[in-house]
Amino acid sequence: MRVAVVGKGGSGKTTTSAIIARTMARHGLSVVALDCDTNPNLGISLGLGDDETERLVAMREALDEGEQEHAPSWDDLIDRFGSDAPDGVRFAVVTRIQNPEPGCP
Amino acid sequence: MEDKGVDTVLVVVEPTMKSVEVGARAAALVREKMLGRMLIVANRVRGEDDLATVRAKFPGEDIVAIPDDAAIVEAERRGVAPLDSAPNAPAVQALVALAERLVAPAT
Amino acid sequence: MRVAFVGKGGSGKSAISGTLVRILAAEGKKVLAIDSDPMPGLAFSIGVDLTDVGIPDDAVEENPDEGGPRYRLKPGITSAEAIEKYAAYGPDGIRFLQFGKLRGPSSELFRSQMAFHQILRELKPNGWSVVGDLPGGTRQPFFGWGRYARMLIVVAEPTAKSLLSARRLARLELMKEAPRVVAVANKVREPADIELVAAHTDLEVIGAVPEDQAVVDADRRGRPLIDEAPDCPAVAAVRSLARTLQQEAGQ
Repeated sequence: MRVAVVGKGGSGKTTTSAIIARTMARHGLSVVALDCDTNPNLGISLGLGDDETERLVAMREALDEGEQEHAPSWDDLIDRFGSDAPDGVRFAVVTRIQNPEPGCP
Repeated sequence: MEDKGVDTVLVVVEPTMKSVEVGARAAALVREKMLGRMLIVANRVRGEDDLATVRAKFPGEDIVAIPDDAAIVEAERRGVAPLDSAPNAPAVQALVALAERLVAPAT
Repeated sequence: MRVAFVGKGGSGKSAISGTLVRILAAEGKKVLAIDSDPMPGLAFSIGVDLTDVGIPDDAVEENPDEGGPRYRLKPGITSAEAIEKYAAYGPDGIRFLQFGKLRGPSSELFRSQMAFHQILRELKPNGWSVVGDLPGGTRQPFFGWGRYARMLIVVAEPTAKSLLSARRLARLELMKEAPRVVAVANKVREPADIELVAAHTDLEVIGAVPEDQAVVDADRRGRPLIDEAPDCPAVAAVRSLARTLQQEAGQ
């Protein structure tokens, strides 16, 4: 099953996604939660806390700066760059927040 | 989203004009690209008026209402997972029920 | 004055920026409101009739310049003229310039959106007070979509997610030739909330808007707050913010 959660910013997508992910995991499903939001906050709603959430976001940014080798597949991405969230949910940040671009058009 | 085999889309809206407008546009785009099921999650619903706002924008769609809930607001302020800090709160229970519905085999 | 509002989606950017626009216009200022969100929002907060149209196709052409953006305004149409011609009208003489809104496939809007971006880059708002509202998140702000502003205002509410987003947005101070970056605390219940915003962002908090049921109600109805509840505490707070911004701008 692949569930996508969409909606206007601030409507409750992230809170909804987190509860659904963890409830499904509690029912025995193997769950991967992917944060594809341009403002990735899913880690907080899952219960990972500010620091761990920001660590995962920073790790994702580092990927593109060449500090880490890219993962060849989704499974690999989740294994290497994901984190364990409560209830056994495996969690990874997909979006990359770019730093402010100097002189970008 | 298009080519990753998404089979379930939850469109989360609040009962505000802006939110249902954006949600409706997102839902239209989803319908174009995805053949699976779509549910509208009406969040922070305070009463019948709020539900009516959402129904008006999504006629005939499967709408799940999540009540406005101070416990969720509190959890947001503290930065903790509502499932941990307020598992019995009405909004949490409603979202858990939604998840269980998604997990249940189709009848 | 040239300001642009950024912040996590749902933190209250549009309500605050929209109310600010109305306050300035009611004082007789010439106000240009800029909405670069591909989804509608700011129009509700100001009280502009909702349309989806951005910059029409006949104002745009392919750019013969190889190194530049693919589309541009047709020569002979300056940024100022484009505003005069294409910006919608709001209450009290407000001009409202918006991004074309997404309804169908985004490819149709590409030309219009590139033209919009050019207008923003070339903006010389002589005599206008410019107030912009950027979509939630870091993408547009980090790509310089708010470069027309001399001040970027990060709106943050005292929730973990909003504060985390605000902290990311505070990095806008690192941009080359960065504008002044400040914060406004929204949905404030107590002074500690303001301190939270200051502590998480390391930005100067130049305004604080209280949690106010009137804001929630106006939002529900999709009506401008200043029309629905002109005397509510939130509007009073935005008036105070307007005064602060005017002082900063030397107006």
